[in-house]
Amino acid sequence: MNDTPAQGHIRIERVTKKFGDTVAVDDVTFEISGGEFFSMLGPSGCGKTTTLRMIAGFEDPTAGRIILEGKDVSFVPPAKRNVNMVFQAYGLFPHMTVSQNVAFGLKVKKVARAEIAERVQEALRTVRMDAFADRRPAHLSGGQQQRVALARALVNRPAALLLDEPLGALDLKLRKEMQLELKRIHGTTGTTFVYVTHDQEEALTMSQRIAVMKDGIVQQVATPRELYERPANAFVAGFIGTSNVISVQPGGARDGVAVMDLGDGDRVCVPDVGAGTGPVKIIVRPERMRVWGDPDGERISRVRGTIAEVVYLGSMTQLIIDLKTGERVTVHELNDDLKGALPEIGDPVLVQWAAESSYVIDDAGAVNVAVGSASPD
Amino acid sequence: MATVAPTAPKDRQLRARAVKKFRPVAFLTAPISVILLLFVAPLIILVIMSFRFESLYGFQTGWTLDNFRLLFTDPIYRGVAKDTLIIATTAMVCQLLIAFPLSYFIAFKAGRWELPLLLLLVLVDELNPIVRIYAWRMLLGREGLINDFLMWTGIVDAPLDWLLFTKFSVILVLSTSWVNYCALPIYASMKAINPALFEAATDLGAGWFTRWRRVLLPLAAPGIFVAVILVYIPLFTDFATPGLVGGTSSYMLGNSVADLMVTVGDWGGGAALSLLLLGAMAVVAVIAYFLTKLNQLD
Repeated sequence: MNDTPAQGHIRIERVTKKFGDTVAVDDVTFEISGGEFFSMLGPSGCGKTTTLRMIAGFEDPTAGRIILEGKDVSFVPPAKRNVNMVFQAYGLFPHMTVSQNVAFGLKVKKVARAEIAERVQEALRTVRMDAFADRRPAHLSGGQQQRVALARALVNRPAALLLDEPLGALDLKLRKEMQLELKRIHGTTGTTFVYVTHDQEEALTMSQRIAVMKDGIVQQVATPRELYERPANAFVAGFIGTSNVISVQPGGARDGVAVMDLGDGDRVCVPDVGAGTGPVKIIVRPERMRVWGDPDGERISRVRGTIAEVVYLGSMTQLIIDLKTGERVTVHELNDDLKGALPEIGDPVLVQWAAESSYVIDDAGAVNVAVGSASPD
Repeated sequence: MATVAPTAPKDRQLRARAVKKFRPVAFLTAPISVILLLFVAPLIILVIMSFRFESLYGFQTGWTLDNFRLLFTDPIYRGVAKDTLIIATTAMVCQLLIAFPLSYFIAFKAGRWELPLLLLLVLVDELNPIVRIYAWRMLLGREGLINDFLMWTGIVDAPLDWLLFTKFSVILVLSTSWVNYCALPIYASMKAINPALFEAATDLGAGWFTRWRRVLLPLAAPGIFVAVILVYIPLFTDFATPGLVGGTSSYMLGNSVADLMVTVGDWGGGAALSLLLLGAMAVVAVIAYFLTKLNQLD
């Protein structure tokens, strides 16, 4: 490993945080590269915000170290760390104007007045709020306040920008706009962004890498594509995107494929993991299942079912189907491939998918054989 | 169109509308009468009194401006006014020095003790003020608890004289009187501060002094000015405290009014002084009110 501290590089080393008897963060280790857009993703209570606050300095780790640009900052007070935070409720000073808010950090550092003015202008221009320099926060909308909070943090040129679910209070359309804005600003400034959210779509949209957390433990750290196509366990598979879980009782295995025969030509083919005839569970992604198309692959599972719900979404249709095996699955089909009318509720259908499109998970939820077709369908 | 005369229903409509308009006014009769009777009327009487004079036994009565003129020309009053200003302002500053950290503690650091502490603050006023001031006499006197303690520990050889019946004792007692009224508005304005602001300031590099000066103080300022309006007036016009613990060395304008009205019987002079005090306090209140409108300290 290269020992020269890269700019904006953060290392979380075996960090644990306990509040009394509760373990909020449990022996967590990962690294964030300089300039990366890195997200911590997970349900409420998974420890992501606590970890972020430890990076910022508002909490001290019970064990482990926080290393910022090569220096151990685990117990350095937040005012002295070269990181800045964008808070969930923005935290703009109501008695100051936008420029005064943005200038705050620079004033504290006793930067020269001329330089302050210049840097504040630059920061406001980056977030496209330069026209609002003399407004008070009370006269700004949520999205505008958000941008000022961003400028106030970025103007200090921190080694890393920490964002604590900043888009939670915005409506959907504004949230999507701001996600792209954040991505753009990240590209412009090149600062490391550490982002915390519980919205997996948001994390996938913006991040270069994501750490998925649950109950204080890191489940997987990977790029969005890896998380989706090669989830490390059932939790990640279920948390990122939709996944269908099907119980399989194979009758026998041949050529690396175990088959469960359902009669009438229906069968489920799963990759052979050496479980013999023991029951297994598989996960199949909705876009790998086919209702009106042909699945790619040699060993095709075929199961009949009935349509429970049809959701037309413009470019694709979401079909909720009750399979003969008892499970209810979600299938995403492209409407371009559809010839004819949409199926209706109650229609009998045949659902097909390739054995290679399924992951086998064991009882503990870990993926036994992570199989995802490397080539797009 | 019907040819039946429409007067009857129209009358009823007009009467209904009149009653509707009159009803809110009717509700106000009670409170307005109270204000008129107990506040405006005495004020008017006071104004009238201030322009009248009466010689001994009422042989001569008439209108005069002398009551007011005397207040401005007689050097005694200037001295008393100066003393009052010094004592009241010093006490006000001391009260703020006590109330500000107290409010801060209750608003931000008290946790589950917040409500009990607030209750305590309100209950403080239940104690009769005369009883409370007498308690101070017992503490501060030559044979009081403080002197006893100081002599017992050997810090001093003889009891301290200046603890009671001096300007010091008046300022001391005034500093602790109405502290609850001082603290509550400051507490209220501090409660309105989003605590995340302190974290944001820390994150941006601010130490405790900067956080205090640029976040806490400006946002608590409106509460401070309200506290001043509430407390300065009773401090300035008080006469019980200087009367009981001030001895001969502190004589405040409140005492002047009391003496003029009761001891001397010069109702004209007493009334005139009261009105002047009222006017001065009104000016203080207006200034403080406009200061609460200022929302930044930059």
